[in-house]
Amino acid sequence: MPDAEEIERLRVEFQAALAAAATDQALRVVRDRFLGRKGGVIASLMKAVASASPADRPLLGMLANQFKNEIEGALDARRASLESGRPVAGGLDVTLPGRQVPLGHLHPLTHVRHQVEAIFSRMGYEILEGPEIEDDYHNFEALNMPPEHPARDMQDTFFLGQPVPQRGLGTPGTRVSTRPAPPDRPATLLRTHTSAMQIRYMEAHEPPVRIVAIGKVFRRDNPDLTHTPMFHQFEGLLVDERVTFADLKGTLTAFVREIFAPDIKVMFRPSFFPYTEPSAEMFIGCVFCGGTGCPVCKRTGWLEILGSGMVHPSVLEAVGYDAERYTGFAFGTGIERVAMLKYGVDDIRLFYENDLRFLEQFSF
Amino acid sequence: MKLLASWLRELTDVRLPVADLASLLSMCGFEVASLDPVPEGPLAPRPPTRAAGDDANDAVIDFEITANRPDCLSVVGLAREAATACRVPLRLPWDEAGRPISSVRAVSAPTPTRVAADGLEVTIEDADLCPRYAAAVAEVTIGPSPEWLANRLTAAGVRPINNIVDVTNYVLLEMGHPMHAFDLERLAGRQLRARRARAGERLRTLDGEDRALEPDMLVIADGSVPQAVAGVMGGAHSEVWPGTRLIALESAYFKPASVRRTSKRLGLKTEASSRFERGTDINAPVVALERACALIEQIGAGRRVGAVIDVYPSPRGPIDVTLRRQRIAQLLGTTVADADVLAILTGLGFDVAEAADGWSVRVPTMRVDIVREADLIEEVARHHGYDRIPSHFPALRATSPRPDPRMARKTLLRHRLTSSGFSEAVSYTFVDEADAAPFVTGDRALVPLAYPLSEKFAVLRPSLLPGLLESVAHNRRREHRDVRLFEIGACFSPAGGEQHHVAFAWTGACVPEHWSGGLRLVDFFDAKGVVERIGEALDLPLVFTDLTNGYLVAGRAAAVSVGKTAVGVLGQLAPGQSEARGLPAGDEVYVAELDLDALDRLAPTADTRAETLPRFPSIVRDISIVVEEGLRSERLRATIRGVAPQTLIQIREFDRYKGQGIPEGRYSLSLRLTFRSPDRTLTDADVQETMERVMEALTREHQAVQR
Repeated sequence: MPDAEEIERLRVEFQAALAAAATDQALRVVRDRFLGRKGGVIASLMKAVASASPADRPLLGMLANQFKNEIEGALDARRASLESGRPVAGGLDVTLPGRQVPLGHLHPLTHVRHQVEAIFSRMGYEILEGPEIEDDYHNFEALNMPPEHPARDMQDTFFLGQPVPQRGLGTPGTRVSTRPAPPDRPATLLRTHTSAMQIRYMEAHEPPVRIVAIGKVFRRDNPDLTHTPMFHQFEGLLVDERVTFADLKGTLTAFVREIFAPDIKVMFRPSFFPYTEPSAEMFIGCVFCGGTGCPVCKRTGWLEILGSGMVHPSVLEAVGYDAERYTGFAFGTGIERVAMLKYGVDDIRLFYENDLRFLEQFSF
Repeated sequence: MKLLASWLRELTDVRLPVADLASLLSMCGFEVASLDPVPEGPLAPRPPTRAAGDDANDAVIDFEITANRPDCLSVVGLAREAATACRVPLRLPWDEAGRPISSVRAVSAPTPTRVAADGLEVTIEDADLCPRYAAAVAEVTIGPSPEWLANRLTAAGVRPINNIVDVTNYVLLEMGHPMHAFDLERLAGRQLRARRARAGERLRTLDGEDRALEPDMLVIADGSVPQAVAGVMGGAHSEVWPGTRLIALESAYFKPASVRRTSKRLGLKTEASSRFERGTDINAPVVALERACALIEQIGAGRRVGAVIDVYPSPRGPIDVTLRRQRIAQLLGTTVADADVLAILTGLGFDVAEAADGWSVRVPTMRVDIVREADLIEEVARHHGYDRIPSHFPALRATSPRPDPRMARKTLLRHRLTSSGFSEAVSYTFVDEADAAPFVTGDRALVPLAYPLSEKFAVLRPSLLPGLLESVAHNRRREHRDVRLFEIGACFSPAGGEQHHVAFAWTGACVPEHWSGGLRLVDFFDAKGVVERIGEALDLPLVFTDLTNGYLVAGRAAAVSVGKTAVGVLGQLAPGQSEARGLPAGDEVYVAELDLDALDRLAPTADTRAETLPRFPSIVRDISIVVEEGLRSERLRATIRGVAPQTLIQIREFDRYKGQGIPEGRYSLSLRLTFRSPDRTLTDADVQETMERVMEALTREHQAVQR
């Protein structure tokens, strides 16, 4: 006589059979076995229920019907899932390459430039470009390099064959100028550093000053692995009351940790620039060997990354600032240098060949 | 500045291994360019000194000396730095009387400009270029130097010549003061005159070159002709030679700017000129002479006869600079103990006296770089240690100004162009004149460089195209068939100065090869689409008109403007141009260049106003007409707009056909007109009436025939 236990046993049996059925064919066999009109498990069960005692019949009948519905539902679900896995006619070779709209790549120097701009923008700096052709006053004299100053040799200059007017320069930046406009001077040279923009900005604005000037600079170097007659620089300047060398260290440390690595080691060492006093060179732990010493860092474990210093009082005086009340710091470096260290580029000339095999590597 | 470490050690009590000594000095600002073992050869016998050196562990260290520190182009200068860093005493070499050499010990009284003694007469004719000239006469026997001396010179990269020349070079390395020895018997009238060169004067210098002198160059002449270019190089005639018996030793101070100018003009850089042009110690000449004479005697090369002649018409003393205790903290962001300040400055040779709120510091004349308080604070900071200054983040006291919209536009264009398939190029600002010339149009001209590195870099670029084409050619030579490059950068003209442009060059595929087919090469309208996209990005309606210029294919070139303002060009590069740049014949290259400054001036600055979305359906009507070839689509649109009501919201060309069924010299154009009203549903009747008027106008104005 069937009872609840018997039904439970049949249920286990059905589930095992269902799980084993992986094809339509196998599924049909399971259906016939359980739902077949003649000799099917359910048919036999129903027959047995009919002959059960009147007292047991209602409960058994209910359980048997429930079981039957369950089997039908499970078989339908199984059939649907088998069907959905079947490929449509004319199925595709999904391993073939997709169709892409051609996409270009930003120059790696632009990537670095954008990162530098983003970091200093967040620190409250105004980002500026400036003229690539300059006059002697802005490029040298106002930066404490009078004619015949030996430091001019550090930056061997390209002079223009003829003076060229500086047109439409306007006020650097977007702040409204509150100072009298300086005299127009025709350009006579290609700027040797972005520091010229320090002067142009301070001429137009009272402190506080917080700027980063970024762009191309030019020096008489024949192209080789580490030199090109043109390269890119960025130059920062902060002038305010109570600005100290400690502020310079804090700012530059924050910058290199962001652009290279949060745990990078830094070192500051005395140096010389005519427009800063004291002057400092900043080093980072070698990004190639981690500071243990390798050919790139000449076995010192350190890489020179930024030139910096406290703005020379003569520079502040040249733009008419009170050098007693205001102090400031300035810093600058080559964008190529940062890019070479960051991306492991070993030949600076690659930046100007515009070889697509090179440019396409920078696809972020 | 290359030197033997043992020489440096001899002058201090610094007991550090060579590598530590090098890094100690590098932390003081003297970068170590190299550190090499002592060159092969017999171990140098040590000179007779009072100090015990450490020869077993010697090395040649090459220090890079910054332009502000000519005093450290010397062993004494570097030893003074090392001694100060270790807070140990400096041991100076001695002079003839056995006194330590020190320029601060005496400030002389003014002398006449002409002094004669013991068979030598010295005259300063130009005290501006030569403020001081000291000399002494010595009897000498020319021969080789002792080995220790020669070895020290060799290690420093100076070739030993003979005992007398070597002594002058030794003093130059030791004290940083250049000297020169003349063969006295070769000097006419036994005279030395510091004067400007006369027009037409020439001098054969020690290196054998015959040099033309110019009137602003200072020379040292004898009674008749120049015998040396002052501070740069001696002359061959009065050179010390094996038969020399009497020498005149020169030890002078020359005006730095003058030596620099002369050295540059002659293209002659020497150990002497590189020191004079940065500024030597004006109070060192006599001390250096005495040191040289002491050495000459010490090595048995001879002895001084008579007195030292010192022509010094306007003696200069040391300057005093005030250093405030509080200013050190204000500039460095940390305090330095008084005792440290004192020890550092005293160690470096400054005389320090207590003053009201700090110190009064007397600066020795060798320190030409120290003129104001900040300079002294750097000295304190260097020897206090930059690593001991804390890190701090400056307070932000004001909001930063809004970003420059011009830079934002460049960034936007960069992104638009890369998403149109163009990679960004960065090319040199200077280009070959021949490459640039074709791109100079109208009455514009090129800006040449005064002394270019090479012909390849001779002129400032008038256009971004020469550089872009060079890069296209570079890529074509390297198996890149499809090249799309753009650049944003400055271009130059003599009248206009600096202008920013954006340009692109495109060759090869527009739709790239794919296994499913579809390769299509770029044509004019692909390139135009990119220019239109630039216009869209800047919210500027661009107008294209026919253009003939030298470097684009006529009939496939357009001038681009906004209203009446010309902003650029677009078209196919003339085959002659692309072949001249080494591009394969048959490659079609499309280029465009726009004036970003002009676009910046025109670009609207107001925010976009959103339009309400249409609430009523539109009605579309197609019309096919046959018109004269050469009739520009732009004119047909204008005619249609002229007669259609405001409900005409779009005109679009969707087919253009020439050939079978169309008469010769004409073409068929199909236009799709879309109408919509903002306030009602248009009826067929409304549109029908308009379409009739449109057709009538096209027929009237352009003899259009409906197909």
